Amino acid sequence: MQIRFVALPLAVMALALTGCENRSVAQGDTSPISSSSAAIGPIPGTDQPNPLGPIDPYINDVVALQEGRRLFVWYNCYGCHGGHGGGGMGPSLRDQDWIYGDTDADIFNSIAQGRANGMPAWGTRIPQDQIWKIVAYIKSLNTPREPDPPR
Amino acid sequence: MLSRFAKFFIALILAVIALWTWTWPHAPGPIAGAVLAASASAEPAPSSGYDSPSQATPPNAAFNFVSPVPNGDWTEPAGDLANTRYSPLNQITVGNVKNLRQIATFADGIPHGHEGQPLVVNGTMYIVTPFPNNLIAIDLKNLTGPVKWMFQPHPDPVAQGKACCDVVNRGAAYADGLVVYQLLDNHVVAVNATTGQQVWRTSTGNVYSGETATGAPLIVKDKVYVGNSGGELGVRGKLTCLDLKTGKILWVAYSQGPDSDVRIGPDFHPFYKKDQGTNLGTSTWGNELWQHGGGTVWGWISYDPELNLIYYGTGNPGVWDPGMRPGSDHWSITIFARDPDTGYARWAYQIEPHDNYDYDEIMENILIDMDWHGRPRKLLLHPARDGFYFVLDRATGEVLSATKFMDSTNWATGFDLKTGLPDKVQDKATHEGNVTMGICPSSTGAKEVVPSAVSPITGYDYIPAHNTCMNYQALPANYIAGTTFLGASVKMYPGPGGFQGALVAWDIKNEKPVWTIKDPTFPVYSGVLATAGNVVFYGTLEGWFRAVDARSGDILWQQKLPSGIIGDPMTYIGPDGKQYVAIYSGIGGWMGAVAFPTISMTDPYAALGVVGAMKGIKQVSPPASNIYIFGL
Repeated sequence: MQIRFVALPLAVMALALTGCENRSVAQGDTSPISSSSAAIGPIPGTDQPNPLGPIDPYINDVVALQEGRRLFVWYNCYGCHGGHGGGGMGPSLRDQDWIYGDTDADIFNSIAQGRANGMPAWGTRIPQDQIWKIVAYIKSLNTPREPDPPR
Repeated sequence: MLSRFAKFFIALILAVIALWTWTWPHAPGPIAGAVLAASASAEPAPSSGYDSPSQATPPNAAFNFVSPVPNGDWTEPAGDLANTRYSPLNQITVGNVKNLRQIATFADGIPHGHEGQPLVVNGTMYIVTPFPNNLIAIDLKNLTGPVKWMFQPHPDPVAQGKACCDVVNRGAAYADGLVVYQLLDNHVVAVNATTGQQVWRTSTGNVYSGETATGAPLIVKDKVYVGNSGGELGVRGKLTCLDLKTGKILWVAYSQGPDSDVRIGPDFHPFYKKDQGTNLGTSTWGNELWQHGGGTVWGWISYDPELNLIYYGTGNPGVWDPGMRPGSDHWSITIFARDPDTGYARWAYQIEPHDNYDYDEIMENILIDMDWHGRPRKLLLHPARDGFYFVLDRATGEVLSATKFMDSTNWATGFDLKTGLPDKVQDKATHEGNVTMGICPSSTGAKEVVPSAVSPITGYDYIPAHNTCMNYQALPANYIAGTTFLGASVKMYPGPGGFQGALVAWDIKNEKPVWTIKDPTFPVYSGVLATAGNVVFYGTLEGWFRAVDARSGDILWQQKLPSGIIGDPMTYIGPDGKQYVAIYSGIGGWMGAVAFPTISMTDPYAALGVVGAMKGIKQVSPPASNIYIFGL
């Protein structure tokens, strides 16, 4: 018990000390946050629309679309977003509504970076090439290009 | 010294109650009676606004109650500890219910599924919203005024994307000045019922691994019991017991794993041989899959004060592909009886070994005492998701009856009461890679988590039933923490017979339906309330809130509410001494979420396969967030 009595204030002090240290480091860093990927919202200081970003090379590739379908199941996307992307735990990918943008790059970033309401960040787990194939599959949903449409 | 204090304290309480009932003419009468009953007999002491079991039992009753029954307030999710959802209030009757009118409505602003029910304690109503799980206190003397307070717990938003079936919450429980409930991100909070200030907050699970919490707690004496959700995300199901005063976790009982995890010890005596043995929670799982074995505890918990046991059911085994988990997969789809203090299991009965269909058996376990085939027995009633009505001896776990309550049920022909095993129909078994057609009921069950209600006057259990079937293709799945561990492609659709829902009045003693109110279009997805006025209340997914004659099934009164009803009706005595009935109107939940704009009708496999069964729901039932209060 006595040790705990001593330990607690010590731990609080230790936490406070490390907190101060972190803050001083943060204050000292004045460089802008580097941004290599497309933005989701409007960019301040410009009246230009957001750049389109990279275009998915697989959009019309029939073999890649099939592969995108396979990966959509393999990585458990179908459990949240519906067997054929119609939604469920996560929003539908078959409709007109894109919460985080509808460009190829927007969809790529939603997969790679994850989103705050539960979408995991897959960028560290799925190779870029496979993400682009999944993006191509998602963009084909509810179009004549959709492989293995729901029956 | 202590006893003198205790005596003084009791005297003080009695004096306050006496003064209160004397000065306030509308104070609900039974309070003084309840105090008397508590001191005069050995039966469990009811709290304020509760009748003792014998007080609540009418003359010539079909069964006897085992726990105090709410007669004014409503402090536990089901009203009582035994999950009867019966109210002895009788101001609203078969004769006058046609005069029922809307007294008040209130929108909490969260347009998601409103499951569960509000509480009423000492003239205040408490509402828990879906995520972000705000707790709202409404002064029943000022129904049109501002709310008393709103507690905003700000749970982790990540939880929204981990909850399988909408961001629902099934309500709170009250005791000793605290309103206790679960947040979607697995925290349990206790809030001061007077001030709305948080008293304690305890984390019981890791939302980043896919674990969430949607179930309502049960409070027994000085302990809180909560279960978890996440059976579609490879979570290990469990029941957690916390100290009511401090929120400290006292014990955790898992639904699989070694006996030490499951809290199985020397006092464990399952009735059937198939449930006996050591470490079944690991040895009955192929591929070590128990580590992601589901069996979550997201339904209702009940308590028998006399046997001093708590009862609850567990959900589906982890991953819907049965080929990945060869074996019986204990203790998924199991009814547990546990010691409420130590958490150790007394008995367990696994309803469906090696689940093929996602038949979570987290349904309510209703505890009553009744003559069964000429012998007084302590019964546990379990209207099951799998389409059978189970009657168990709750002291031993013996199955006394398992009878089909939904005709279309075809996965099994019945149960062998000697072995406790279902007679499975091989044609309807599911296999990895194959599509099995026409399985009834679907994964959503012949009945969902929404609870039934029993009446001692009629001896019926009023079951909110589904008639939905499915095609099921089991698929191998990868476990990736924080994502779905599903392993199936499922498509549901209405079952045969021209209806998809029904309120079934089930004669408990004679093991058969007496009357049925069919819903041609949608499953019945609301809970049920039975009352001493012989009026039964329930709602439909189209938003009809109904009062029904408990004996005949005649619809006596109904009103269309703006959104589908998936909550549970409750009743209470207001500050003016009159009886009121409250119900949520806010579609959502697993099947109801198809009404949301985020789910597309063009994919029948969406929302874990329910879209095909919910055609037209978007046109009749928009999302809403209302509570309605009705009175005479």
